Amino acid sequence: MEVYEVFRRHGHKDPFEHCGAVIAPDPDMALIMAKECFLRRGEGEHLWVARRSDIHSFKDESLLEPTGDKSYRFASGYRDVIHKREKALARVRELSGGGAA
Amino acid sequence: MDDALRALLLAAADDELVIGHRHSEWTGHAPHIEEDVAFSSIAQDEIGHAAALYGLVAEMEGSDPDAIALGRKPEDYRHAILCERPNRDWGYTLARHWLYDTAEDVRLEALSESSHDGLRAVATKLRREERYHLLHADMWIERVARGPVDGRTRLIDSLTHAFPEAIALFEPLESEHEALERGLLPVPSDELRKRYVERAARALDELGLPTEVGAGADAAAEFIASSSGDLIESDDGADPEPAGRAFGGRSGNRSEDFQPLWEEMTATYRENPGASW
Repeated sequence: MEVYEVFRRHGHKDPFEHCGAVIAPDPDMALIMAKECFLRRGEGEHLWVARRSDIHSFKDESLLEPTGDKSYRFASGYRDVIHKREKALARVRELSGGGAA
Repeated sequence: MDDALRALLLAAADDELVIGHRHSEWTGHAPHIEEDVAFSSIAQDEIGHAAALYGLVAEMEGSDPDAIALGRKPEDYRHAILCERPNRDWGYTLARHWLYDTAEDVRLEALSESSHDGLRAVATKLRREERYHLLHADMWIERVARGPVDGRTRLIDSLTHAFPEAIALFEPLESEHEALERGLLPVPSDELRKRYVERAARALDELGLPTEVGAGADAAAEFIASSSGDLIESDDGADPEPAGRAFGGRSGNRSEDFQPLWEEMTATYRENPGASW
């Protein structure tokens, strides 16, 4: 017997989402069990099962924690960028000769 | 009262109700939690199918499906004796599940050509759900048949008990002649029984399971000795019927296993008949 992770799709345009796990001797049996455990009441229209041992993940989850300021990876990090740029240019002008250029 | 249609509908509906009840006894006790859920779900489906068929009877008679399902005396039920047998162990339950759902497919295939509109529609709809039951049963039987020897032995023992009784699912119905004449039942029970035995025997053979558990004159002698049903013998002797036992369910002969099941199944209804839920 092995553990199978179960993924369910609500509608044909939706992504498959993890919804639980079943214990079964093989993939066909896992599908039958998954249908009964996770698709009993019309919660979706398609199911996948995958052996848990076939799913790979990081051994060290701390590698996934964000380190330092990653605001530049978010759209919000670019909010008000025009105004900030103008301020920066003004500062450059000010530092390079008090506007005499 | 349309006796031919009533007999046809009740035979199928009572089979579903009674086997559904037996299946439901596994709830909380099945070999593992996922199968507990799966098998309970199949039990509910079977009882749902019974409700659809009782609905047709109720419509015809202007009565209440619950009263038909639960308000009759034990001798008024028309299911095959196979359905009322206790679950014994998981091996027997699986063997019966497989034998029953294979038979059900043969029956529904025929009924989906019935001349009765309501029955034709219900049979077509039920058959879609039964496809899944059959898949579930096939999968289990295949795995147990090819698995370790203990499971395989239990399965074979169970088939040896259950197959001869499953043949009685195709015992001729009361008023069958009329049902055939009017096309309510498009194929005679004798013909369905032959189709069934052939199909089941072929499947068992492919799994390397002994097929003589279901057919063969040698086995008949043993089955005649059974106390729990009448063996129906071939009319002419030229075309021997597959050996079977536990016939008589379609005319209301019950084994000793039915009374306790009936008492439990109908207890709530009998306390307050006609209560609405």
